[in-house]
Amino acid sequence: MNDERELAISPIVVTSVQHNTQVVSNIRNLTASLFGVAAGTLGLESYPGFIFYLVGTLIVSALIYAFRAEGKPSEYFYRPLGDLWGGDVFSGLSGFVLTWTLFYGLVRA
Amino acid sequence: MPFLGTTLNTVGLLFLTHAVYSAHEHTATFTHAALPLDVTFELLVSIAMLSAGIVLSSPDLKPIQWSQWAAKIERGGRHGEGKWTREGEELLSEGDPYAFLGLDKGIGGKGEGRRGFWDVRGKRKEYAEWAREGAK
Repeated sequence: MNDERELAISPIVVTSVQHNTQVVSNIRNLTASLFGVAAGTLGLESYPGFIFYLVGTLIVSALIYAFRAEGKPSEYFYRPLGDLWGGDVFSGLSGFVLTWTLFYGLVRA
Repeated sequence: MPFLGTTLNTVGLLFLTHAVYSAHEHTATFTHAALPLDVTFELLVSIAMLSAGIVLSSPDLKPIQWSQWAAKIERGGRHGEGKWTREGEELLSEGDPYAFLGLDKGIGGKGEGRRGFWDVRGKRKEYAEWAREGAK
């Protein structure tokens, strides 16, 4: 109820939300395959690889926070925690595993 | 900012290629040996540069609150971002995705091609010239 009233007072521009989500998911997909290349070349296996991915996405989130959102994520994301820090982390995971296994097989094995 | 992003991407890609190549050569010569520290370092630096470059070269985010969004348009004018027609309408689609094929005037410059927009002013000028010549 409270939420609804706040949205009535300060409405949200849907096209901007869509645009921002698209930008974040684009960055996530590109960087996820990049981290896969690094993880495979470093020869990481099992849990260290996934931890590498999580650390990498955290760094990318911090970069988006600093350079794209200019330190004010609530201006650009409806739920900053879910949309910026956690947005599309698991959709990039498949791309990560793809390039991870590919480069592990090409370089290390 | 776009220049910095492109530079970071280019240099990062070069470093990444070199690092992956070095790692491949190293494992081809010494199997089951740990990767040398300099290769690891180069790889991590290239990844950091590339992710910074990707973030910097991505399009700007738009404010989601209606008041700030409207204020941004008021301040920057409606022509701040994106592509606009001469009449002041925003082009929402990307336009013709096959424009690079150069088929605008049809294959070999003949035929009507894929023209989505008809150049009214050019056609009017053409007609005026034709009419003037016809009057003589």
